[in-house]
Amino acid sequence: MTIDPESEPPQSPTTRRGTPRHGSVPLMETVWVTAPDLNRRAALERTRSRLVLAAGGFMFLFVAVLLKLVDATIIQPLPAHQPERHAAQPFSPPADEQPAQKALQHEQRAMITDRNGEILAISLPTASVYANPREVADAAEAAHKLKQVLPRLDEQTVRARLSSEKQFIYLARQITPGEQLAINRLGIPGIYFEQTEKRRYPMGRVAAQILGGVDVDGHGIAGVERFFEKRLHDDPSPLRLALDVRVQAVVRDELSRAMQEFGAIGACGIVMDVRTGEVLAMVSLPDYDANKEGEAEADARFNRAVTGMYEPGSTFKLQTASMALDSGLVHIWNQFDASHNIHIGRFTISDFEGKHRWLYLPEVLAYSSNLGAAHIAQTMGAERQRAWLRSMGMLARTGIELPEQGLPIVPPAANWRDVVTLTVGFGHGIAVSPLHVVRGTAAIANGGILPRPTIVDKDEESPQGTRVMQQSTSDTMRKLMRLVVTNGYGKSAEVPGYYPGGKTGTAEKVGHHGYKKHANVAAFTSVFPMNAPRYAVYMMLDEPHATAATHGYATAGWVAAPAAGRVIARIGPMLGLLPDLTDKAAIDASLYIPLRPGRERAPAAPVASANFRREAALRMTAGPATSHDPAR
Amino acid sequence: MPVLSRNDSSVLGRWWWTVDRWTLFSVAALIGFGYVMMLAASPAVAERIGQSRDIFILKQVVFLAIAGLLVIGVSLLTPRGIRRVALAGCTIALAMTAATMLVGVEIKGARRWIALPGLSLQPSEFLKPCFAVVAAWLINEGRRTPRFPGMPIACGLFALIAVVLKSQPDIGMLAVIAAVFFAQLYLAGLNLFLVGMGVLGLGSAAGAAYLLFPHVRSRVERFLDPSTGDSYQVRTALEAFGNGGLLGRGPGEGHVKDILPDAHADFVFAVAGEEFGMLVCLIILGIFAFIVIRALLRQLQEQDLFIVLASSGLAVGFGLQAFVNMGSSLHLIPTKGMTLPFVSYGGSSALAVALGIGMLLALTRRRNHGDLV
Repeated sequence: MTIDPESEPPQSPTTRRGTPRHGSVPLMETVWVTAPDLNRRAALERTRSRLVLAAGGFMFLFVAVLLKLVDATIIQPLPAHQPERHAAQPFSPPADEQPAQKALQHEQRAMITDRNGEILAISLPTASVYANPREVADAAEAAHKLKQVLPRLDEQTVRARLSSEKQFIYLARQITPGEQLAINRLGIPGIYFEQTEKRRYPMGRVAAQILGGVDVDGHGIAGVERFFEKRLHDDPSPLRLALDVRVQAVVRDELSRAMQEFGAIGACGIVMDVRTGEVLAMVSLPDYDANKEGEAEADARFNRAVTGMYEPGSTFKLQTASMALDSGLVHIWNQFDASHNIHIGRFTISDFEGKHRWLYLPEVLAYSSNLGAAHIAQTMGAERQRAWLRSMGMLARTGIELPEQGLPIVPPAANWRDVVTLTVGFGHGIAVSPLHVVRGTAAIANGGILPRPTIVDKDEESPQGTRVMQQSTSDTMRKLMRLVVTNGYGKSAEVPGYYPGGKTGTAEKVGHHGYKKHANVAAFTSVFPMNAPRYAVYMMLDEPHATAATHGYATAGWVAAPAAGRVIARIGPMLGLLPDLTDKAAIDASLYIPLRPGRERAPAAPVASANFRREAALRMTAGPATSHDPAR
Repeated sequence: MPVLSRNDSSVLGRWWWTVDRWTLFSVAALIGFGYVMMLAASPAVAERIGQSRDIFILKQVVFLAIAGLLVIGVSLLTPRGIRRVALAGCTIALAMTAATMLVGVEIKGARRWIALPGLSLQPSEFLKPCFAVVAAWLINEGRRTPRFPGMPIACGLFALIAVVLKSQPDIGMLAVIAAVFFAQLYLAGLNLFLVGMGVLGLGSAAGAAYLLFPHVRSRVERFLDPSTGDSYQVRTALEAFGNGGLLGRGPGEGHVKDILPDAHADFVFAVAGEEFGMLVCLIILGIFAFIVIRALLRQLQEQDLFIVLASSGLAVGFGLQAFVNMGSSLHLIPTKGMTLPFVSYGGSSALAVALGIGMLLALTRRRNHGDLV
């Protein structure tokens, strides 16, 4: 700044800011300023105005921080851990009791009971413990503490998982209330509980394969639990099954006894109401504890009754006979040639302990003649046979409410050659499930109505289903089935007062290279009481072995039929059927049919028994090695 | 504080009567908060760093003490001395920043640190205040001395720094240095057209960073829409503020420090909010605002353009750093890891900030025509 020396003394001197009044340097009104200096001062002025602007800008920024700070702390404070709120909700005391109760009920999976209301499956409330590792301050300490309460945890693994960057990990599922309390008492931050439920099966092994099971999230993975997943999830009322746990237990008991006695690898039993198709019992052995589904072997989880496909063997002769009689092409007293083996292509069909003569139709069933059944099938022809099997539901799934139900193994129509017609006539060259056989037997016995098998309790009493044969055919067949027990291979199934009728069937199992010589499936399909059919009982042993008591036989008449008899004797009273011995003469007469026309009258029971023993002795001397025929 | 006579003409005596004591006390208060926050966050951080708590506290006590001494020591210098320190510092820091490319320690995908015994140094922290002073000198010298190409040199130096920082990459630091440099150009009287161009340039540079650097993009996207990505840190920080409320949970009662890995540095404001509440946060905010705005407004009486530009640059850098830190933890801006001056834990940061504040105090001392009174 330069001061012009020629200027007048100041009239009203201004002072520089910041200097004391005395000795201040007076600023003159008129000054000379050099051009660069003037520019510099102008620039400084501009700088100053911009400085104010910059200060204002910072003021703006800091005020923004201030407002946001006030907002975040007291105006709209963010509640801690909002993401966890949802999971933790069931624990917060509900403001309104009523909807909470409803929601809880809605979440609870419905019970499964048997037909009498016995609980088969129930969901119990339990808790899962989980963690948000990001909130866990000290993973090592938390893992150590948790290990003290839940010894089944692996401390190293838990520590590693708690140290991860995830926001949700399960530590343990389905802990007990005591464990939950103990963990809660540890007070570890970041550890939470989730209210879940655990599926329990109070009956353990009873009906394990039918019930199936649920996964850890409570979704059905097999059996009824899977088939009725939506129903059990949506409708809290109990699902009532057709099963009767008492009958189920008896069947299981007798099956496992027979299985042990004959060293079988498996067994299967079914009890069905022949009028409604309701399955009162369905047992497949080996089985498992339904509460430990995860530890069960695949073989134990396998439900032989609906998934297993076996050649039905001689039990199928009931189908062949019904078809023939119902068609009218064959008369009950027609004779069929069982004197010569049939040679067709590279196959030879022969009889086990054949009579080597012409047989009447009742004899074909009573003596279980393969040759007779083959000739009947030949008479009917492939087309009628296929139509019959289709109408009897042998070519499709049974339609029972189990996801495991299998499809029969049937030769395609184009390959249905003569030999197939013949062998299917006595139950070979086709494989169906035991449930198929039981249903077919029920239809033959109940007056000719094919029921739809069901695992769910029905209220109807009257026969349900489609008519597949005339009533008269069914009446004749009932007598023939009874004849098998009184005079044929099914004698050991006889239960006084229950008048059972049925048919044995022993089939060699199919291996990789044709039939396996010493591996049988021995089954007995029966209905009782034959005078007023109510229940079908099917008992099957997989690969039974002969014992001294069976005189070297492992055939159905020796291993399966006695078990069926014992089951009938035990479940009859349970199901409200009392043995009827007072009307025995009348009932025997109503069910009587001779083996041959006009040759025999209805035999008295002791005679039948003697007859049975004589035949058994005969069979023993003949020995099992005399035949290479798969069917007996 | 020893009572110094107004007539005491020793170095310290003259310093005491000429230095901006309000700012000095403010800085002392911040350092005090730094101690408190270090004590609050130390158990969690000591465990995370894997040191014993005693060593951890001792180190920070030493660093904060050195920082305090550095503030005083640097503020004793004359503007000329400051200019020399800044020139030397700028050269060394630039060289070291460039050296991080070769010998740097890679942490979380960026090479910004040089490991020294006792601390890992981030040279670019020191570059920021030094470059502010150097740029101010260059701009002023370009004005004063004919044919001295001050402005081109300043721009060239800035471009060099930009290249180095971009390759680290340290986009946040680059953004702050760019903002400081631009503010200085603006204060130096850049015409408004060029100011507009500069704003556009910064904007397009930000856009380019958004497109070029995935981590920048993800942070911005998370800021704009928290549901798109992992906004866990910001959310936790906001919860901490909400948890603290007006008066806080009490010292040591917060738990955000246990959860957030950077609680002791980038989210120290959230720790303060949770444990000491809104009022203490307002005090911290007020101190920063006071220092920055006071420093800017004091330049209104300054005649020397170099002093104006250098002081403003230092104040703007200091203020922006504080704003970015507090704004990040309050979800006001996208998260950017930047320390809260003096309050955050960390040796390198505390020393660099102390250097800048020391320079600011030195430049704003009262003097008569360039000479200290």
